[in-house]
Amino acid sequence: MATIRGEQGAVQFDAAGSSNATIVGTRSWSLSTTKETLDTTKQGDTFRSFVGSMVSGSGTVELVYDPDATGQAAFLEDVITSADTADATFELFTTGTSADTDSAKFNGIITDMEITSTVGELVVVSCNFITSGTITLNLQ
Amino acid sequence: MAAADLNAIRATIEGRLATELAGSPAIPVVFHNMAFEPTPNSSFVQCLVSFGANEYLSQGLTTNSQNRIIGLVVISIFSAKGVGPGANFVIGKRIRDLYNRVIVSGVFFDAATGPEALLSAAPEGYFQTQVRVTFESIEEL
Repeated sequence: MATIRGEQGAVQFDAAGSSNATIVGTRSWSLSTTKETLDTTKQGDTFRSFVGSMVSGSGTVELVYDPDATGQAAFLEDVITSADTADATFELFTTGTSADTDSAKFNGIITDMEITSTVGELVVVSCNFITSGTITLNLQ
Repeated sequence: MAAADLNAIRATIEGRLATELAGSPAIPVVFHNMAFEPTPNSSFVQCLVSFGANEYLSQGLTTNSQNRIIGLVVISIFSAKGVGPGANFVIGKRIRDLYNRVIVSGVFFDAATGPEALLSAAPEGYFQTQVRVTFESIEEL
């Protein structure tokens, strides 16, 4: 058994969806995946029953802001892409940066970007995203 | 990007003080692990730079990652005993202004504390105050 610490993680991203690259300065990421359910309970049943339906995902990436850090600007500014075709690719790693290993991979849209500057603290940025299309989980 | 050079950070801090106190009026300054024999009834300054707790700042292990290096500068100002704090505070202001909220060579100095008078000076025979400044530097690997 091997537990993993958060600092082992990483985020890779490409706005054009062609070649993911590591974003320098990510502090945390989260991904929440939700499956909708359809109620298949029939008259006469005693217990309610369901089948799984559509799967969707959303999450957050938090960064320590550095205008010179590789990959940050393209990531933060993707929020202002109008008529976003969800062509951006994300890969969120629990450890390492080997493609399709210990990661969640998907196309997505950055829906919120919040940059915060506070006296005595580092400037941090928080970006929320939603997934679009298939979510591939390589968490085994 | 490279591991932090602690001596470069130390040199930034100490060099700033040495340059300031070499100006008029010049005040002797002594740093960590240096022999020094003070002249009785005269002023001198002792500067001690210490590195403390560091912390993860970003993800990425040993590449594409950042750490926060935190440290403390304790600057003791010694002046003649029995003549009030005025001369001591003049030096204290010079030192405080040197670091207060300054960013230099990637070292971020916080708001300075002091000069704070100490009840008993070490070494004895002087009036001693302290200016303390915490600082941080971001290590980019």
